[in-house]
Amino acid sequence: MNPAARPASRPAPRRLASFALASVPGGERLALAQVAESVADLSLPPERLDKLKTAVAEATMNAIEHGNGSRPDLAVDIEVFYSGTEITVTVTDRGGRGDAGWAGGGETPDLARKLSGEQRPGGWGLFLIRHMVDGMEVTTDGERRTVRLTVRAAAPGAKPDG
Amino acid sequence: MDKSTTSVGVRMADGQTSVIDIKGEVTAASEPALMSAYEEAERQGARRLVLNFSELEYMNSGGIGMLVTLLVRANRHRQPLAAYGLSDHYREIFELTRLDEAIAIYGDERSALAGQAGHGQTGRSG
Repeated sequence: MNPAARPASRPAPRRLASFALASVPGGERLALAQVAESVADLSLPPERLDKLKTAVAEATMNAIEHGNGSRPDLAVDIEVFYSGTEITVTVTDRGGRGDAGWAGGGETPDLARKLSGEQRPGGWGLFLIRHMVDGMEVTTDGERRTVRLTVRAAAPGAKPDG
Repeated sequence: MDKSTTSVGVRMADGQTSVIDIKGEVTAASEPALMSAYEEAERQGARRLVLNFSELEYMNSGGIGMLVTLLVRANRHRQPLAAYGLSDHYREIFELTRLDEAIAIYGDERSALAGQAGHGQTGRSG
């Protein structure tokens, strides 16, 4: 292959963190704290960090409750990567056989309909995530399900990303 | 971490308005504490309610659902709800979910009480 024709290679994203949580209620607090710690050196604007933490918490809650059925013996695996322009967080559970409402998006929560009783009061998790991150993807291999969240993040010292 | 770390207090701020002080987190597990606080406010004879979020540390989608449940009950009893003390992040979440259209949002307690006294209906202010 002509080196001149070779596409410019991009460095692989740097892994900032990799950890596992037991699937117990409230575990999402640990997830968001560890993710926040892992990106501390990236100098994310506070409002973007808050959004990332909320998205991670919601994805982790879903993994714990729906993916792993709140079974303490099943772990939720979380990894954090940084490409230089983008933070990626993956949240993986053992719920690969079902989509737990994530794949097609489910019913859009509507406050008026909830107040009238047409919708149940809850069901805000996916809605929140979609408004907190720049990208969200759900994949499954039939056994494990992975939610991949992406947030644009300029390198520290670079011009802030609007 | 399977128990709510929500601390809730209720106080009468004026003759008709109860303030529910919320400390810690608001999640689905907070429902017993918050509903108990609401019932206490009713016992106090509150016709209006103000939620104090100034010591809120964390709220998730379960907590938002719980607030919707609280709203349903308050609406049923024609009790306007207001709130103050939300951080910018949670204020944005209130806007995204349109909770700010059902719960009047204020910057501080004084504004919230004045707003509740002056308005029978909810509305965004402060």
